[in-house]
Amino acid sequence: MKRYDGTSAELAAVDGRKRLNMDKVMTAVCFVLLLIIVVIPIVMIIYNAFFNEGRLELGTFVDQIKEEKNLSAMWNTLKIAIGATILGTIMGVFYAWLLGRSDIPAKGLMRALFNIPYMFPPFLGAMAWDMMFNGRSGYINKFLRTLFGLKTMPININSVWGIIFVEVSYYFPFVFMQVVSALERMDPTLEESARIAGAKQRQVIWKITLPLVKPAISAGALLILTTSLAHFGVPAILGYARGIYTLPTRIYAVIYNSGGSFDGIRQGAALSVMLVVVVSLALILQNRILSAGSYDIIKGKSMRPTLIKLRGAKVPLLILAILTLVLIVIVPLVMIVLISFLKAYGLPLSFENFTLDQYRTVFASNGTIDSIKNSLFASITAGVVCMFLGTLVAYVVQKIRPKGKGALEVISMLPYAIPGTVLSIGVILAWSGRIFGINLYNTIWIILVAYLARYLSFSMKTSSAALLQVHSSLEEAARVCGASHTESLADITLPLIRPAMVSGFFLIFLPAMREVTTSILLYGPYTRTLGVQIYSLRDAGMIPQAAALATVAIGIIIVLNTIVTKLTKDRKGV
Amino acid sequence: MANVKFDNITVSYGNHTVLKNFSLEVESGKIVCLVGPSGCGKTTLVRALLGLNKPETGMITVGDRCLFDAKKRVNVPAEKRNIGIVFQDYAVWPHMTVLENVCYPLKKQRRPKDEIQKRAMHALEQVHMTEYAKHLPNQLSGGQQQRVAIARALVVDSDVLVMDEPITNLDAKLREEMLLEIRMIQKRLNATILYITHDQQSALQLCDKMAIMQQDGTLCQYGTDEEIILHPANRFTFEFIGVSNFIPIEKGPSGAVLKCGGASPIPYDGEVPQEALSGGYELGVRPNDIVFDPASPIQAHVTSRVFLGSEYNYFLNIGEKQVRVQQSMLDARTRGVAKEGETVGIRFLNTRFYPAKKGEQTV
Repeated sequence: MKRYDGTSAELAAVDGRKRLNMDKVMTAVCFVLLLIIVVIPIVMIIYNAFFNEGRLELGTFVDQIKEEKNLSAMWNTLKIAIGATILGTIMGVFYAWLLGRSDIPAKGLMRALFNIPYMFPPFLGAMAWDMMFNGRSGYINKFLRTLFGLKTMPININSVWGIIFVEVSYYFPFVFMQVVSALERMDPTLEESARIAGAKQRQVIWKITLPLVKPAISAGALLILTTSLAHFGVPAILGYARGIYTLPTRIYAVIYNSGGSFDGIRQGAALSVMLVVVVSLALILQNRILSAGSYDIIKGKSMRPTLIKLRGAKVPLLILAILTLVLIVIVPLVMIVLISFLKAYGLPLSFENFTLDQYRTVFASNGTIDSIKNSLFASITAGVVCMFLGTLVAYVVQKIRPKGKGALEVISMLPYAIPGTVLSIGVILAWSGRIFGINLYNTIWIILVAYLARYLSFSMKTSSAALLQVHSSLEEAARVCGASHTESLADITLPLIRPAMVSGFFLIFLPAMREVTTSILLYGPYTRTLGVQIYSLRDAGMIPQAAALATVAIGIIIVLNTIVTKLTKDRKGV
Repeated sequence: MANVKFDNITVSYGNHTVLKNFSLEVESGKIVCLVGPSGCGKTTLVRALLGLNKPETGMITVGDRCLFDAKKRVNVPAEKRNIGIVFQDYAVWPHMTVLENVCYPLKKQRRPKDEIQKRAMHALEQVHMTEYAKHLPNQLSGGQQQRVAIARALVVDSDVLVMDEPITNLDAKLREEMLLEIRMIQKRLNATILYITHDQQSALQLCDKMAIMQQDGTLCQYGTDEEIILHPANRFTFEFIGVSNFIPIEKGPSGAVLKCGGASPIPYDGEVPQEALSGGYELGVRPNDIVFDPASPIQAHVTSRVFLGSEYNYFLNIGEKQVRVQQSMLDARTRGVAKEGETVGIRFLNTRFYPAKKGEQTV
């Protein structure tokens, strides 16, 4: 039998104040890091919007609100966000029902294809649509004009409706994915009972199925609304040149036009406060209207629902679904690839105008290679750091439960509701020398800091959910079996949440790779990211070169996604 | 093996004090069942012993080794206490195989590899799980996982083994088997086992001694099972262990009377201590201590009779008061059975008298 002779081991364990308590250290680290990463930028925005050199000054803020351009930008932001939310929700629910509940063929393939717009960067889509339906020079517009002998261009994508259309086509998967999974988990007897009670098929859909998936619809719609309100890429590409501003593009314009002067940044901060107010109002409104409570009848285990026979409508609906897919997935992709082979933008799309020069230029240019390197560095680092930091915060919140754990949770989720543009301004204000003289402006580090703030909540959410599954008795059992606190973390808790940590990494890495909203305000001459580089090439009129780089970017995304899918599959197999 | 001593332990969660000045000494090499209603602080006490929570006052010793002393500021961390535990929810690590689970405590003791292997397999043998050594926990049933947890607790020769409701998820037959197995293991290792349960049946079957805890976290009786059944220390123990009947009793014009809600009080001719007649007392009697006696002044109406194989179970009404009666087969043969609808005379043996619970009508 193992005996302790009562000296060293026990004396070390005397409950002294000297011994460093690991729980307390972890809690403190969380608070300090979140303070630096999240709280300081947000405080800086609010401070600078209302204060100038230590004095309360509401002038800037009031001026910004009064300015007509800003008011119309706000109005556009609302129109676009509400329009995209309503149309995207209708489209998402319709296709979710079609693929989840009807007997339409080729479901698996279609489901995979319907998820593509979700991975595809919307601003590349906007580029493609601009190439086709630009109000002055769109290729298809020109074709249609000559075909029908029109005087003006038939379709103008550079309009509020054009922006709504492009956003809908990339955001409807938010609703689609939520609703499909809710439909699959719904107990089919609920619908069957309604049929037995005498309801017709149509009545069942309206009175039973839709109300039951309402929470899922509402969650997806909220995601569309907040994403669209904060979105930069699509309105920047389609509206900017035509003077159609939204709040995020207006903020960019104000800062860009002021040449990065402090005054411009202050104006931007004031606009940011407006944008945050709009987003918060949207969140509150959404809560009021749609939070009808959750339903327990949607079970965790998956069941086999009864499929509705489409009969005569099968073929037309199948054609409609395929056309939608072609229109929103394949057409933009083909357009970008085609343009990337053109000698010069505007030349007809015929074979003699094709060349590989654009790709040669792209790969020969240091700027482009640097932008790929920068993006890889920033997104991998952000992914890794967020993976550990998010897990740390999740562990402190879920397992240590210190005083102020609520505050910790709110702080780490805060950036989720704050538009990327706003976050960038906060980061600029905080880290361009005003605090402890730390100046990160024009370096890759400022982009990294912004990514950390923006994506931390992603990894925290996944790790949190995983930690909830790890009952505290598992760690306690290890302690009693002779493992120290550190050993029990390393042997038990970490291995159990490792899969969630890995998926948290990819949840950050993939969107960060194609990010443009945050980095467009933060990039310096040598720190362009992939997204920024494509945007600036296009802005400089080098559209075929931008298209070539976009094609490369899409290639990278597809490769990465395939790797992720492979990895996740292997994990499930064990 | 070693004795376990809790001395003056106080534990609170926030403002809620779960245990207050709790003391208990568990003798070395005994199986002691800690029995009490859920929420009475059994698990809290055990967690204090394991070092998973920190009492505000008191001292915990195992053998001659002090694990916790609030005054001297001693608090041996959980991993150095050398106590085996079977958790209520098994706490079998899902990412390790059965064998890895059982090897883990030995690995933490840095034992040689072949010794680890040998002892782990031996522990698995004891719980009949050798054939599942390479399985992952999610391939096992709840009962099998529980046995893995038991093996993991057995594999190190702990001074003390704590089992927190370890067999609740087994079916009746396996439960009986595991209880016997725990008994055998205890005999072989001569370990001190602290067994926590709210199920009095398995407690009676397994333990050498029982510690009965009350809802407010105080110890109300510690003794052998016979002592506890035959000489309950108070009304709580009497009521909590076994089935009991209570009938209000008071002083009538000539001697004691039972108040059964009927028209007139029923005279009671048994022995009654003087203080029980001072008002507000109840007569307590176990169902198997009520016998049929036609000569008794207490007349009861038989409302139902169920044959349970080795005994008869009756519900009788004395006035409006329902009492439960168990009649053994032997008694049924000698005195005969009562039929439903009949009126019978009954007599109470081994009666006890307790003050009535306030504001509560006991049945």
